[in-house]
Amino acid sequence: MLDKKKIRLMTRAAIYEKRYGEEDIKISGYYQKDYASLNTWLTLIWVTIGFALTAVILFFSSGEAIIEGLTVMKLFILLVITAGAYFSLLIVYGIGAGSFYRKKHIQAKQRVKKYMRDLSRLEKMNLKKEKNRS
Amino acid sequence: MSTLLLWREKLQKFYAGYSTYILKALQFVTGFVLFWLINTNIGYMEMASSIVCTAGLAVICTFFPMVVMTLAAAALILVHFYALSMPIAIVSLVIFLLMYIFYFRFTPKKAWIVLLSALAFGLKVPFVLPVVFGLMGTPVWIVPAAFGIIAYYMTNLVKDSAAALRGADAEGMANSLMSFTKQLFTGREMWLMVAAVVIGILLVNLIRTRSVDHAWKIASASGAAACVIIAVVGNIALDANLSYVTLIVSACLGIAAGLVLEFLFFSVDYSRTENIQFEDDEYYYYVKAVPKVGVAVPEKEVKRITGRSHPEGKPGAPAHRAGRKGAAPEAQAQPEAAAKEPAGRHADNNTDEILLTRSLSKELGLDEGPGKTE
Repeated sequence: MLDKKKIRLMTRAAIYEKRYGEEDIKISGYYQKDYASLNTWLTLIWVTIGFALTAVILFFSSGEAIIEGLTVMKLFILLVITAGAYFSLLIVYGIGAGSFYRKKHIQAKQRVKKYMRDLSRLEKMNLKKEKNRS
Repeated sequence: MSTLLLWREKLQKFYAGYSTYILKALQFVTGFVLFWLINTNIGYMEMASSIVCTAGLAVICTFFPMVVMTLAAAALILVHFYALSMPIAIVSLVIFLLMYIFYFRFTPKKAWIVLLSALAFGLKVPFVLPVVFGLMGTPVWIVPAAFGIIAYYMTNLVKDSAAALRGADAEGMANSLMSFTKQLFTGREMWLMVAAVVIGILLVNLIRTRSVDHAWKIASASGAAACVIIAVVGNIALDANLSYVTLIVSACLGIAAGLVLEFLFFSVDYSRTENIQFEDDEYYYYVKAVPKVGVAVPEKEVKRITGRSHPEGKPGAPAHRAGRKGAAPEAQAQPEAAAKEPAGRHADNNTDEILLTRSLSKELGLDEGPGKTE
């Protein structure tokens, strides 16, 4: 006879595996702090690349106007503004990425915990069934 | 109204039954329209702009997640740009890369929003976007919406000034690179539309999340109106080249889309709103409860009326309820189907009526046609 409880548990586990399984198990392999800091560093590297690319594009779009009448003072101000923009971006993305990845880790851990609980319930059901058979 | 609600329930049931096929069909249509728009507007590479390629890409993308469609659309744009001029392809690649670095690294699953926003602009209904995104999404959706608008204007710019951007020699390439980036980032129309859509999404979302009556309707109307005002004022102030007809028609369509979405996802009866106040040790609570509007779809069930299936004396026996024992053999000869209402009592009444009508017809000799068995 079909066991509805078991079918429900198996379906839930299968849906979880399909949607999140692989990624969640990978994430929960890290400690929260390690995962968040590793990804925050990666984000900062990407942001640096992105900032450099943006600077290049902006230089192409308005390079002529910048170079025209450029003095040492103007260059200094330009560099200060660029550095300010870069560090502001780093801070914003650093803080944002830190909290984003911490939250992601917590959610993944919770889902994995629930999945494991479902699996252990299934195991218990199977054991009970085997006992009954024997 | 009740008919509409009935249709909504039926639609929900239908969607629940065939969601996989419906979603795939929608994905195919989206992909086809998207690739077709790209190929008809900037189809500089003949091989990639053929209908076979358009349909093929749409079919392939149907079987993958939406992020693949986004990547395919970006790749197709780059291929066409490369066919026109390499510097333009490089700048576009950098822009797509920036979009990935600053947003899609975090939520790649939201990439389809970019497609929808670019599609809305391509189909000349830009202000449907803020209403739909504001009602259905979160304020963060402004980022992919803005990226979609930038992508649309980028392709539009290339389409409009393809001849000027084409350059064969090194100097021509450098010039086209400078001119393309300059035109792209100083495009007033693009930034104006980005501002209008971003403010529109934020406004719609802000009003939609308030607990005022008819919040969805107010949000749709005010969001669309705000977008039109911003676009018109900006058009006059910046001397941009926006079509007023497109703006107004798309705002009206946006309001209509808002009403449809409200009907589908937020159907409530404000006349039965309950305002409740209570407290516990720590807080005072002011609760506003608005009941949902819904109707139960009557399920049609085939009921066989036969003497055998309902033994004598059993309460459900139709012959007894009709008060006519002689009707039983006739009913056995030809089983009848009757629509059954959800309320059992009502269904019983129907059965009684059918049996009574049939017996009266027989007695009065009204149904003695050649085809009749009774």
